Amino acid sequence: MKPKVLLDKIGLWSATAVASIAIMFSMAPMNAKAEFKVPTEVTELGKDTYKKYCSPCHGEEGKGDGPLARSMLPKPRDFSRGAYKFRTTPSGSLPRDEDIYRTISFGVPNSTMIPWDVLTEEQRLSVIPVLKSFSEAFEVRKPDPPVEVGLMVRPTEKCIAEGKKIYEEKLECWKCHGIEGRGDGPSAAEQEDDFGFPIKPFDFTTGKFKGGSTPQEVYLRFTTGLNGTPMPSFAKELTDEERWCLTYYVMSLIKPEETKNK
Amino acid sequence: MSEFQVMRHIFFLSVLCGFLGWCGISSKILSAEQQYTEIEVIDGGNVIGNVKYTDDLAAVGLNLYRDWELSDTSKIPSEKLIFSKINNGIKNVTVSIKDITEGKKKVIPTIHPIIDQQNNIFIPHVVPILTGTTIDILHGDEGMHNIHTRSMKNQPFNLGTTYKQRISKKFDYPEIIRLSCDLHKYAYAWIVVFDNPYFDVTDRNGYFEICDIPPGTYKFQVWHEELGNLEKEVTVHPKETTSIEFVYSQN
Ligand code: HEC
Ligand code: HEC
Repeated sequence: MKPKVLLDKIGLWSATAVASIAIMFSMAPMNAKAEFKVPTEVTELGKDTYKKYCSPCHGEEGKGDGPLARSMLPKPRDFSRGAYKFRTTPSGSLPRDEDIYRTISFGVPNSTMIPWDVLTEEQRLSVIPVLKSFSEAFEVRKPDPPVEVGLMVRPTEKCIAEGKKIYEEKLECWKCHGIEGRGDGPSAAEQEDDFGFPIKPFDFTTGKFKGGSTPQEVYLRFTTGLNGTPMPSFAKELTDEERWCLTYYVMSLIKPEETKNK
Repeated sequence: MSEFQVMRHIFFLSVLCGFLGWCGISSKILSAEQQYTEIEVIDGGNVIGNVKYTDDLAAVGLNLYRDWELSDTSKIPSEKLIFSKINNGIKNVTVSIKDITEGKKKVIPTIHPIIDQQNNIFIPHVVPILTGTTIDILHGDEGMHNIHTRSMKNQPFNLGTTYKQRISKKFDYPEIIRLSCDLHKYAYAWIVVFDNPYFDVTDRNGYFEICDIPPGTYKFQVWHEELGNLEKEVTVHPKETTSIEFVYSQN
């Protein structure tokens, strides 16, 4: 794909995702405002909301074993280990409240986890302490500070070529994600998550990134890794610029023609 | 989406769902943390011993090879159960004193123990350490690896690594932690973290030794990744060496 097309595409996404970024990046200052306050303790509202809307899948005790979970794949998250996939914090760290809020509000594409925007903001915020109360990890550890997202570089042809080189040679993403990014690399078939369930490396051609489809979000996914899954963090191996190039390359694997039918 | 639609969505899913078993989790938290006081051990005793298997190991029904698609003669033995043909001694069993509340000083090694990923396996396979110890995980191969742990109290990690990378990680809580590489499924190691300095791991003939134990009666515990736990009460006498044996059997 030509860089210009990619730029256009990214521009388009940014437009559609403006709302999401707005929420994601304004969470911190908004925290100061009263309405964005996450309750410090489990409240009645939180318990009720969880029981009514979340427990059918995530289970009464948050073990991901609700009555609907049985043959579902991917499984509803088991909250007991504190392993959250979509974070702004480094590998292995617990998520920040903002990260959890983002997932609840936007859902997880390609799974049964819908965007819970039918719930009020207050309800969505109130379940956060409930989710955390399911894991001992939140008693022992604190979330690390978020990783730094460096200044975005331009997706030039040279940069995308560098991204390709990282994908194919330096970090060998293809071993899991496949050369064309279809999630069918040689190691793909045997992947398992930390809970012992089979998991498929993401198919980039679909473009429906679970953790969000903006360049910032894609950048964050391989910088932080997806906790509880084989998807590692590559924070230690790449400079900031290399990471943007890898982001653009990964996004250039999206096949819009095919995505339409999916 | 209206609330009704949401509930319908959920109902629909419930109709779709069949039945599937629930899977366990592979990292266990060791017994609750204990008080441990450092004292000067003057008339300490030692315990030496051996861990072995009584029955015919072939009958255990374990596949002792890494499940690589190689012909029988060139298969590489798995590290999950290594035993000596001479005395049936089992390698890589950790031995520790479960209920000790006071004893010798906890010495955290200043030179970090190393786990090296070489030829797609982790060396050594079992690394017992004291809480507070930092381990250096090295990457000795040319290809990509990742190092992935599933611990709960100690912060887990999953990092992609390349040639010559060296990652230092500190472990602060007692826990049995599996370290693995998702690109080489049969590569894994165990980091076993203890909160007192009385532990060892058996050598290739199943031998171990634990020294300078204040006299008294203690519960000794052994752990092996496939064979599980065994416990034994042992009395340690001043300035004496007591010899004990742990025997795994099929029943
Ligand atoms: C219809 C089933 C279903 C319901 C109902 C549901 N979820 Fe989920 N949820 C899932 C599935 C499936 C996943 C895992 C998606 C994946 O990993 O790809 C998930 C994942 C999550 C995650 C994981 C985030 C991460 O970073 O790993 C959070 C948080 C979450 N759900 C919160 C909620 C909350 C809060 C509710 C109730 C308001 C809820 N879910 C209701 C199915 C459901
Ligand atoms: C060991 C196998 C493995 C390797 C190596 C690997 N990935 Fe992944 N990756 C996965 C799996 C499995 C998932 C899907 C997790 C899920 O669905 O929850 C994933 C998900 C992702 C996602 C998240 C997509 C989303 O839904 O938001 C991105 C981005 C990603 N990988 C990029 C990369 C890049 C870039 C590399 C190389 C630097 C790489 N991966 C290497 C296994 C791997």
